[in-house]
Amino acid sequence: MADDRGSPESRRERPAGTGGQEDGSRAAAEASPADGAGPADGADAAGGPGRLLADLAGLRRQARTVRHGYWFPLVLFGLLTCGAAPLYVAAAAPRDTSGAYATGRGPLLLNGFLPGGGFYIGWYWAAALVGGYLLTVAWYRWHARRAGVATPARGYLITGVVLTVLVLVIPPLTVWVPALSWIWLPFGDVWIRGTLAFLIIAAGLWMLARVERSRALAVIALVYTGAALLSSLYNVENIAFRLGWNPGRSAFAWQLTVLPNVLLPAAVLLAGGCGAFLAQRARRSTA
Amino acid sequence: MSGARPGPLAPGEPAPAPQAAGPGAHPTNGLDDTVHQRHRLGILTITAEARAEFGYLRGALGLTPGNLSRHLTVLEEAGLVQVEKGYRGRRPRTWVRITGRGRAALAAELATLTELVNRHGGTPAEQPGPA
Repeated sequence: MADDRGSPESRRERPAGTGGQEDGSRAAAEASPADGAGPADGADAAGGPGRLLADLAGLRRQARTVRHGYWFPLVLFGLLTCGAAPLYVAAAAPRDTSGAYATGRGPLLLNGFLPGGGFYIGWYWAAALVGGYLLTVAWYRWHARRAGVATPARGYLITGVVLTVLVLVIPPLTVWVPALSWIWLPFGDVWIRGTLAFLIIAAGLWMLARVERSRALAVIALVYTGAALLSSLYNVENIAFRLGWNPGRSAFAWQLTVLPNVLLPAAVLLAGGCGAFLAQRARRSTA
Repeated sequence: MSGARPGPLAPGEPAPAPQAAGPGAHPTNGLDDTVHQRHRLGILTITAEARAEFGYLRGALGLTPGNLSRHLTVLEEAGLVQVEKGYRGRRPRTWVRITGRGRAALAAELATLTELVNRHGGTPAEQPGPA
């Protein structure tokens, strides 16, 4: 790839998306013989194997930059998590004066074990997880048509939907077949705050980091998994109190103390998504 | 090096199997003529990263449609890529996907090229920094 049209430097001068390909192809056609497959086109004749390897690495990097679109699921699930916050506040209200916690009806592993039962939280997350995964796959399809390079998002969809269906069916299944009660063991205590959905989102992000081959997304998934585990196993309000946050002494203020558990993972997703969007836009403009 | 290698394949011509590079053999013996063509290498490299649309390949590699079609035909007949034709609305769209055999061929080619670089050493002009 010794000629200018094949070098990464020359590729930078034209847009990588399909919109800029007409000009790029036309310029290449004018600069090259029609068949383009003569002996001088051989890989060796183009400046040596080292140069060729560097050019191939540039092509791979360019394709990867163009196909990355993971900012969307990060922002989407961040917003869906924020949308769930009022439900957590409502579920933190005691149903009666006994102070007893209730599991309520609905998808138990997603409900959690909250004073108000968490019925709406469970169904909200059942719909939001499936809808979020489907929307993400639709986004990747749209992005692939626009960019010309496709990220295989099927594994991501399967991971998310299978996990969601599993947490929906495990509680009734173990009621009907008590011998399967051991299935609860892996869940431990991570479901009682009604935040198991965060871990399903985290599993999806790990899968997405794999198919996107993105270290940045892997780092975001790691941070998010940490935040999701913290929210699932600890009252994050304790940290917020130490940092000076005090919602007051009223009953409603007490309900607000569940917010840090919800908003911490949401903040990680939104910050990661916005950062990824800006970084990907900057990279594409220089690609 | 290019003098020791026959020219690129015409469409329909079967791809010769790369000669096995035994111990002490020069790495060029392991080069596959079907793969060892810079644009075909580019196609395989991009499609190994992700399924790619015809227009993207054309723009990224700087090829004319006819030229790209010809290279794709060679790769498809060698079983290294799959070409999927479809429509988006009324516009035809062609997607190219690498096969398992294509991945293996690309990996072998890159290994050979790396061995060549290691054997002969790279001058700064031959090994530019990352693009």
